Amino acid sequence: MTAVTPARPRFRLAPYLHFARVAMAREGTYRFDVFTSIASLLIRVYLLRMVWLALYARNAAPSELPLHAIITYSTIALLMGLVMDIDQTRLLHDKLHDGSIATDFMKPINVPLYFFSDGTGEVLFHAALIVPSLLFALLIVHIDVPSLPVLAVFFVSFFLGYLIGFCLNFLLNCIAFWTLEIQAMQLIVTWITDLFGGEIIPLVIFPAFLQRIAFVLPFASMFSTPLLIYVGVIKPGRYLEVLGVQLFWVIVLAVIATFVWRAGAKRIVVQGG
Amino acid sequence: MDLPATNLPARRSRLRVMLGVYQQYWRINILTTLEYRENFLIWLGFTFVYHGSAIAALWIVLTRFPSMNGWTFRDMAFLYGLWMIAHALHNTLFSTVGDIPDHIRDGEFDRLLVRPLDTLFQAIATPGQVFPDELILGLITFAAATWYSGVHVDLLFVIFIPLIVIGGALIDLAFNLFISTVAFWFVRVDALRWIVIQLEQEFTRYPISIYSQGVRLLLTFVVPFAFMNYFPARFFLHKAHETSALPPEVGLLTPLIGVIAVAAAYAFWRLGLSKYSSVGH
Repeated sequence: MTAVTPARPRFRLAPYLHFARVAMAREGTYRFDVFTSIASLLIRVYLLRMVWLALYARNAAPSELPLHAIITYSTIALLMGLVMDIDQTRLLHDKLHDGSIATDFMKPINVPLYFFSDGTGEVLFHAALIVPSLLFALLIVHIDVPSLPVLAVFFVSFFLGYLIGFCLNFLLNCIAFWTLEIQAMQLIVTWITDLFGGEIIPLVIFPAFLQRIAFVLPFASMFSTPLLIYVGVIKPGRYLEVLGVQLFWVIVLAVIATFVWRAGAKRIVVQGG
Repeated sequence: MDLPATNLPARRSRLRVMLGVYQQYWRINILTTLEYRENFLIWLGFTFVYHGSAIAALWIVLTRFPSMNGWTFRDMAFLYGLWMIAHALHNTLFSTVGDIPDHIRDGEFDRLLVRPLDTLFQAIATPGQVFPDELILGLITFAAATWYSGVHVDLLFVIFIPLIVIGGALIDLAFNLFISTVAFWFVRVDALRWIVIQLEQEFTRYPISIYSQGVRLLLTFVVPFAFMNYFPARFFLHKAHETSALPPEVGLLTPLIGVIAVAAAYAFWRLGLSKYSSVGH
């Protein structure tokens, strides 16, 4: 008698699309939060405009970033923040907290992919906010628009940056396998990312030694690279190089995330959930 | 409930009870902190990084652009230090006021109402894991910023700075209490709180003279966060050239503004309390 190995269930995309749709619908129920995130973005756009205006008014402007370029940079950074600053894999932390992750492991699904589709649904919902936010922001500031090819490269770079952000966020939420108090750690990483990613201040105006540090960290690939492509500080000749660096970080972080996930998942089995 | 003035012994014993409760509150806070040491250290790390990155951002920008509307990094360090110490004082003593909406939402608040002590006092003295670490950090930062900015430390400074810090903490308390009171009518106030926090924490980082007139008026008269640091800093740093119709001496009014703001917020709180009906649990 030949042993019959149970056939591995064929991969189906449909459940994951459903998870994403559910996540989108869930986000849509917090209507007031939508209003807040747009209002808070507009407050920041106003603030950055006044701050850069005051700084450029009485000092010599850096040649690579004139006033209109830095205002464009900061506004686009804030709009990117609408999707980049989301805690996409918070569900993992919540499920570890209440123990419901144990039943997810029994379901015929790929669990990390489940978190990815849930996070993507959430992100897509927030991405839809970019359009109204942009329209309102245009009442406060003027934004430069680059040529179509540059814009296309910007979106590719933005997407790679998003993947880096996703891996970092997933890694942070994986810490919950070992300790459940991760909020402070997450906030610490957020502040460091904001500063060293160039979300608040373009890295090119950092003092030289800090610039050297910032450009070797993965955070620069999240915000700074797409933004510098957008405002034209990174010239087309360097596109391949900077996109390559971004891809390098995506791969490195994805590999680390896989290992950490496996180590964490093993712990769950040992504890019995 | 107000007791008649003739009932002095009762009032005094009530004060003693409150003092005892408050002592217990701090005892529990400190014991909790000692119990969850790891947790405490990581939040301390957060406080460091939060203020550190804010100061670093100012330093980076002002290294490239030596002045912002006539304010150098030295001046801005003093501006930040003054805000930080007042804000930290508020966080240490009154951060629990911000938890009131949570108590209302989950029904815990009703328990405070049936106990024979002032409701607001009980809300303030609800133990958690408060530790004066941010305040200590704030004191160090402020001392360093004062030395670094070259502010002349004279009698006026020694008398007024503590009062200004207390006044600033009271301004903070007034808005914390105001927003928590709104929760009597609208259970979800996180959005409102977030916007006010942003106005406070991000707009006080810079001299308000960089803003348009509407925002300057807003930060002076409606949400008077400019009194937490900008006006006092302008006075002590002798910034005479600021575009403002107000004389520099208004910087010494912070304690008064703080008292008025808290009085107004407290009146609103009493009104909310009298209109309160439980969410029903």
